[in-house]
Amino acid sequence: MSLEKPTPDTAAEVGVTEDGLDYDALADLLGGHVLDREEHVNAEGFVIRPDEVQAVLSTLKNEAGFDHCACVTAQEYDDRYESIYHLRKFDDPTQELSVIVPSPKDDPHNESAARVYSTADWHEREAYDLVGINYDDHPDLRRILLPETWQGHPLSQDFNQDQPQIVTLRENANPLEADHRSEDDSDTMFVNIGPHHPATHGVLHVKTVLDGEQIADLEPDIGYLHRCEEQMCQQGTYRHQIMPYPDRWDYVSAGILNEWAYARAAEDLADIEVPEYAQVIRTMSAELCRIAAHMLALGTFALDVFGDFTAIFQYAFRDREVVQNILEDLTGQRLMFNYLRLGGVAWDLPEPREEFFEKTRDFLDDLPHKLEEYHDLITGNEIFQMRCVDTGVLSPEEAKQYGATGPVARGSGVDYDLRRDDPYGYYDELDWNVVTEEGGDNFSRVLVRMREVEESARIIEQCIDLLEQWPEDEREIQANVPRTLRPDPDTEIYRAVEGAKGELGIYIRSDGTDKPARFKIRSPCFSNLQTLPEMSQGEYVPDMVASLGSLDIVLGEVDR
Amino acid sequence: MIGILKSMATTMKHALDGETFTVEYPDVAPEVSPRFRGVHKWSQERCIWCRQCENVCPNNTIQIVMDDQRNGEQYNLHIGQCIYCRLCEEVCPTDAILLTQNFEFTADTKDEFAYDKEQLKNVPWYKDIDPLESREPDRGAWIGEGDGEVDYQ
Amino acid sequence: MQSAPLPETLANLVGLDPNSTPVMILMSLVGAALIGTLMMTNTALAGPWAKRKITAAFTDRIAVNRIGPYGLFIIVADAVRLLSKELIVPDGVDRPAWDLAPLVIASTALLGFAVVPMGSGIHLADPEVGLAYVFATASMASVGLVMAGYASNNKYSFLGGLRAVAQNVAYEIPLILTGASVVIFTGSLQMSEIVAAQQQTLIGPLPSWYAFVNPFAFVLFMIANLAEVGRNPFDIPEAPTEIVAGYQTEYSSVYFVLVYLGEFIHIFLGGAIIATIFLGGPAGPGPASLGIVWFFIKIWGVFLFTQWARSAVPRVRIDQLIEIGWKGMLVLSLANLLLTAVIVGVIA
Repeated sequence: MSLEKPTPDTAAEVGVTEDGLDYDALADLLGGHVLDREEHVNAEGFVIRPDEVQAVLSTLKNEAGFDHCACVTAQEYDDRYESIYHLRKFDDPTQELSVIVPSPKDDPHNESAARVYSTADWHEREAYDLVGINYDDHPDLRRILLPETWQGHPLSQDFNQDQPQIVTLRENANPLEADHRSEDDSDTMFVNIGPHHPATHGVLHVKTVLDGEQIADLEPDIGYLHRCEEQMCQQGTYRHQIMPYPDRWDYVSAGILNEWAYARAAEDLADIEVPEYAQVIRTMSAELCRIAAHMLALGTFALDVFGDFTAIFQYAFRDREVVQNILEDLTGQRLMFNYLRLGGVAWDLPEPREEFFEKTRDFLDDLPHKLEEYHDLITGNEIFQMRCVDTGVLSPEEAKQYGATGPVARGSGVDYDLRRDDPYGYYDELDWNVVTEEGGDNFSRVLVRMREVEESARIIEQCIDLLEQWPEDEREIQANVPRTLRPDPDTEIYRAVEGAKGELGIYIRSDGTDKPARFKIRSPCFSNLQTLPEMSQGEYVPDMVASLGSLDIVLGEVDR
Repeated sequence: MIGILKSMATTMKHALDGETFTVEYPDVAPEVSPRFRGVHKWSQERCIWCRQCENVCPNNTIQIVMDDQRNGEQYNLHIGQCIYCRLCEEVCPTDAILLTQNFEFTADTKDEFAYDKEQLKNVPWYKDIDPLESREPDRGAWIGEGDGEVDYQ
Repeated sequence: MQSAPLPETLANLVGLDPNSTPVMILMSLVGAALIGTLMMTNTALAGPWAKRKITAAFTDRIAVNRIGPYGLFIIVADAVRLLSKELIVPDGVDRPAWDLAPLVIASTALLGFAVVPMGSGIHLADPEVGLAYVFATASMASVGLVMAGYASNNKYSFLGGLRAVAQNVAYEIPLILTGASVVIFTGSLQMSEIVAAQQQTLIGPLPSWYAFVNPFAFVLFMIANLAEVGRNPFDIPEAPTEIVAGYQTEYSSVYFVLVYLGEFIHIFLGGAIIATIFLGGPAGPGPASLGIVWFFIKIWGVFLFTQWARSAVPRVRIDQLIEIGWKGMLVLSLANLLLTAVIVGVIA
């Protein structure tokens, strides 16, 4: 079957057995470093000393093959602080391990993991910013989401929410002050690209130092769209109140994919079995969302490279409109779907079903022709090739190092797709391919998205066939779920799905109430954006803008 | 060069075929799906003041005031703050609150969006679509209880 | 089609002596005002209305249609809107230069039309160095761009100004060299001579327009002209997604209108040059009095072409632009010039 991935040579990796991971072997590898072992729903967790993080993680990375640091979750308990490093493997993401680093309540200090996994840089900065854990030996421990002048750490227990956070303008960093940042080096010029700039796809601020028109140094500054999404989810009930919010993380039509991330994590946490029919509907609607999201990515990328209001942007929007009409028929909303429910979906297909099938089929039938048109307009255009081939190159090693996932990683030849590697929904029953391109440049990333649209269309087509033939009395859209969900106290889970931009993971810790005690979102855009400096060092400004476009970030998801 | 000419030919084809995909909105009322979630309509006759909608609302958009005999006095809903998730309609046991297809609402200030009982009653149907008929809500499964103990939260 | 230049016609029309200098000065001013108004009208039509309609056609949209027939009155609405906006003068701009730049950009392009024969007797002056004069005025606009870029005290404007200079220097030379290849055919820089030389027929019904005589030069000129007027794929001095709006970032209200106007007049001037030296000027079927109609059809054709290119051709990068200019266009235009010279020399 096409879904099978070439089996990696895992013989050298410690702890890999025929039927999954052997945690005892891993514990032996680490020996005395492991203080305690915990059981999480998705993997086992090893508790280690806060000053041995680098040693443990580099052993795990080099000898046990954990090359993907998916997420760093920090939280405060009554008696301690805790950082959890969710490790998995790009070759087989079902092999997971959580490394738990407790640190004392009065003076929370950890060793930083940023020297082992580059991606931990930003994740730890976020943990420092929101929870207040200090990471020693971190290359640049500053606030990342909140302004520099913020007082306190909002997710720590002693944070006073009523404390005013008003800071006079004088105390804030003045962007113009850094105007002549390198006075001894008069050949460079400091330019603020954003937060108000036509090409930043939202409110992103990129601090750039230019040498002529080439980029000498670059640093993305995020947090302008931080809306406390994690805290909002912590204040909602599992059963009802969290589901509307995932739509608002990646708000450009990837809603159902985001909802699925929460649904998957919460269902595994509370052990809810989803009916097969609902899984097929979920798969179909998620792939429709993926098409809509990729269309938008394509259109805005064209906007960045072609100039203002090109035809391609409008054509992409026109086609996305068709998808959104279908989704509106199905879910009742065009962007903020709120369609998935724990244990199923909110609605069966709209009646008359034939009409819905026909509408979807018409769209799928038109799609190859439309993609042909895009290839004529975009990939076949010599000037476009001139602009995009071999610019913004991201090598596969760097992609892994920065935890890049989704089309960005696949454009660099990293064969990683959770739909196949960590199957959920109905994906493993269907016939489709994971798309990769070897180039690693802007062109490859665009090409990956265009080809993924084709694959998504294949998936939808098979789902439609299945749904059409589904016997009428077995159309169960919703499992029987208690009205108020109260998962067992201190159950922890990290689960991810393949969102439109990459691995969208959710970490939930329950405390026995009907609301999560800690809700952490692993946003793919957050990790992908970290690769921007790597991609655009030494490139021209237009190429940096193109790379940013090809990363396809949504600031709502980066800042959460 | 051929690629560029091909691109230009493609856009020219679009320019000449005269087709447009935008609509002249106020003149041409857009088609809205039967399931579309717009402004709420509320029915005092049906409402039993069970406060489930107020309870389930993710961002406290619904505010209900009752007197000490549990008679309903006020039902306020801020349609500018609402995120149109339809959970209130889903939990309502009597279909007293419904989301109409009506998506057109304007006001000069945000305060005017805080609708009270009377305003909610008078929200018009969009194109006379009654959402109840068209949505055929599958309530059984959703409202049904799980295996665990019954919880009337 | 050797009609008398416009001031003489006007003098005869009102019955004054065309040989007296004060009368001629007065009539020249009247003629200049007439031509200026004509071009401004065109620009007004093109900027707020035609451009929107054309872009909409390429992108499957409807565009302005609510005010007046086909939305034409949007021109008035836009004019009022733009003129009534606040003129924001940022801190630290280099005042006289910043204020003058929009004027320079708008007026230099208008100056070029003085020597362009528009047909139907509308031809203000016909100096012997006509073509050279047109090129000279057209390139003066880059002075305005640099002024705007430097004086704005904004890094994006600065980058845009630098890009504009680099681009104009790189593409002016191929432009003029290709124009010179036409001069080799006619043996004169005088605009009326160039138009007159295209009156014969080439083969069958095809007139001997230089676009048909030397299509290669025509294509070269069209491409170089795109760069000269700063349109896709060469719109990098503005490049909205890269450097916000380039040299015009800091301009608002009336100044912005002037900059914008200047750009459009510049496109039309480019069209006028192309029409005159490659497309037979005002030549076309029907009586000679229809000349102006044909002339405008031709310059609008060129305008349409720039919009078409804008809809489908990506912007090139600055280094690629310079490379194409110096290593491609310059070499090709030199080759074209030499070849034309040799062929004309052999035939003559």
